[in-house]
Amino acid sequence: MDLLELWAIFGPGVAGAVFGAGWWIWLDAVVCSLVTVPFLHYLPGIFASFAALMFNCVRKEDIDYSPYDEGEWRLKLWLFIAYVVSFVSLAGSAGLLIQDSLDKSAPSVWTGVAGVLQCVFVLISGLVYWTSHPE
Amino acid sequence: MLSWQKKFAAYLELEMAELPGYFRYCLNTGKLVLLGILVSGGVVLQILACALYNNWWPMLTAITYVLLPMPLLFLVGSGRSSLFSESDSSWVNATKFLTGASAVGSIAIPAILKHSGVIGWGAFAMELSSFFVFVFAILCYIRINDEDDYSSL
Repeated sequence: MDLLELWAIFGPGVAGAVFGAGWWIWLDAVVCSLVTVPFLHYLPGIFASFAALMFNCVRKEDIDYSPYDEGEWRLKLWLFIAYVVSFVSLAGSAGLLIQDSLDKSAPSVWTGVAGVLQCVFVLISGLVYWTSHPE
Repeated sequence: MLSWQKKFAAYLELEMAELPGYFRYCLNTGKLVLLGILVSGGVVLQILACALYNNWWPMLTAITYVLLPMPLLFLVGSGRSSLFSESDSSWVNATKFLTGASAVGSIAIPAILKHSGVIGWGAFAMELSSFFVFVFAILCYIRINDEDDYSSL
């Protein structure tokens, strides 16, 4: 049994663990925060989870890499939108981290760091799930 | 000397091959006793983490212990081969995903309670010990179910 088969067997479990770790880190920041975290700070994690769900809805065998035909442009547009949503959520969490570190009345820096870690872990879990299931 | 060792090895092999069926059944019963001891140890550690400090917030972890086997029970059959094999089914992959997420919750809830100051280091250590004892019991259970029960009698 080689490494790729092990990855295909245990990859979805690892993806679930990384996804759970991301959201639990964010819950830790919300629980331990002295200031009430506004709903705007929840949005990067929600959009990152949505982006991870988007690009795992695609079947790999439907992606067409032919240079001659038109190909599945709707599928590629869907993947492009998923990538844009993930990138914007990551950039948004980084922006909120900078805001939390500069503003005194905002939540603490750990809330911003946890937001960035949440987006990173959620997107990594999407990538792990994408690379591990063989279809 | 060498012929004597060969004779003794042949004698041992004959004796092991003709082990009675009820003796092997007793060995399987011993494995079930070990499983019972492990699960009881996990439950005792869980309750000790709450009762010693008179702080019942760590009992939230019991929710994830109930949630942990639910995807396996509902979506995947009882066979081992569907869990530890490569599968094309999306349901099996979703089951593994949910199991991984629930397992992380069992570690994350004591960690968040410790970080927010609700529980101390002693309760946190007991919670983690309880989780690893349960995981070890589950792995032993999966290992025991691999063996063929029809060869025992």
